[in-house]
Amino acid sequence: MEPEQKFTTIRKGLLEFLILKIVSADKVYVADMMKRLAETDFATQEGTLYPLLSRMRREQLVDYEWHESDSGPPRKYYKLTAKGKSQLVEFKNYWDYLNTTINQLGR
Amino acid sequence: MNTVIVVNLNGNAFHIEEPGFDLLRTYLDGAQAQLRDNPDKSEIMADLEQAIADKCAHFLRPHKNVLSVAEIESVLKEMGPVQTDGNSASSSGASGEPQSRAAGAKGDPGAARRLYQIREGAMLSGVCTGLAAYLNVDVSIVRIIFVVLALLTRGLWIIAYVAMMLVIPFANTDEEHAAAAGTPFNAQEVIDRAKKHYSQFKNGREWRQHWRQQHREWRRKWHDGAYWWGQNLQRNVQQFGAHTGYFAQLLAGLMIPLLAIVSVVVFCAFVASLVMLTTTGALFGWSLLASMPLWVAILLLCFAYLIIASPLRHARRAIYMQRGAYREWFAVWDGIFSLGIWAVAGWLAYTHVPQVHDFFQHFPENVQTIWNNVAGSLHHAAAQKPPQSGSSPVR
Repeated sequence: MEPEQKFTTIRKGLLEFLILKIVSADKVYVADMMKRLAETDFATQEGTLYPLLSRMRREQLVDYEWHESDSGPPRKYYKLTAKGKSQLVEFKNYWDYLNTTINQLGR
Repeated sequence: MNTVIVVNLNGNAFHIEEPGFDLLRTYLDGAQAQLRDNPDKSEIMADLEQAIADKCAHFLRPHKNVLSVAEIESVLKEMGPVQTDGNSASSSGASGEPQSRAAGAKGDPGAARRLYQIREGAMLSGVCTGLAAYLNVDVSIVRIIFVVLALLTRGLWIIAYVAMMLVIPFANTDEEHAAAAGTPFNAQEVIDRAKKHYSQFKNGREWRQHWRQQHREWRRKWHDGAYWWGQNLQRNVQQFGAHTGYFAQLLAGLMIPLLAIVSVVVFCAFVASLVMLTTTGALFGWSLLASMPLWVAILLLCFAYLIIASPLRHARRAIYMQRGAYREWFAVWDGIFSLGIWAVAGWLAYTHVPQVHDFFQHFPENVQTIWNNVAGSLHHAAAQKPPQSGSSPVR
């Protein structure tokens, strides 16, 4: 497996964490999320994002509400639920823990 | 000028050129299939349609209200393939859903798989390795069947093979490798890919129908070509005979044995090359490329022979079919003469070529040797294949 492929696998697993982080900052709709992600290595397309968001909503990590928009149809604005908030904290702690572990092991 | 189809994307009407519509439908059908076990399928589909509608709206102006194929293509490219994270059980952690899905796939062996080309262990492109994984049989068996089919269909199967090479996607990622060996598959995908290129094929039956039609067309052209060849030859013969029917008939009568001799010589050369190839692995001092397996060389040789031999045969037939009332006589004359040539050629070879003499003296052993060579090369090919990795998606 090429290094780039391995990184892809890692990024895939982290996408959910990133979305929790983005949604935690502000109420956002999908185009916003994509814009935020596009600036990073985690650039994602609708084809991936919608199924993921729907699963996160099923797991009650996020919820959405409809908002009218000036330009076009109403949009779904996503926000974090209580469960989502606690999971984000868990994620964050685990990530810090992983970082420390990686840095301490070996050279 | 193009036919335009009006579609409803989550409540918005769009005018789309027909080929673009086919692309769009392929994409949405694929999304439906991906999401078929998803409880929120209809909601996600609505979201996707809305996103497509938003993107499409960017291309519309007051005086431009039809979306072209290229525009649809770019919209769909921006959307990206619809992936449910259930597919990547290895990366999305231990949420219950992916596991239950994986278990479902395993518990249902009747579930169809995805057909991919697998480069690992491939000889040419990976069609056979992919098909072997798909059918869960040894790759050698698939290869032997392919070679037999190529011979039975007189090389036409090679065209089918090339078509498969172009149409069947390659397995690149782990998920695709896993899918090649086991996870649920929609045959739709392969057809969709073909549909993308030939939007007029609406379903598998039309595909097959079209394929058969194409086949017949090729055959007809081939026959026409050979017929024309013979006719042309015959016309020349007639002109040479200065329109005297007698001379024309005489010359046709002479052409038949001439062509018969050429045919026999070509066939002998073919058999000699075949024997040379299987016993020494070289052809007239030109040794095989290291990377080219023996069976491919044999296949190429058979193909070359058919290309040379069948126009000759058709030309002969065309000559005597043209002789009107005398055609039976010419056919008989052709048959008898060919047999005669065969007998003479056989006798000459038997008495003057020691190898041929030996070959017939030790006929059974020779057949055994040739078979061993061919089987050996096939076995060797099978041995190059990496060990089966089972259906584990993690590598």
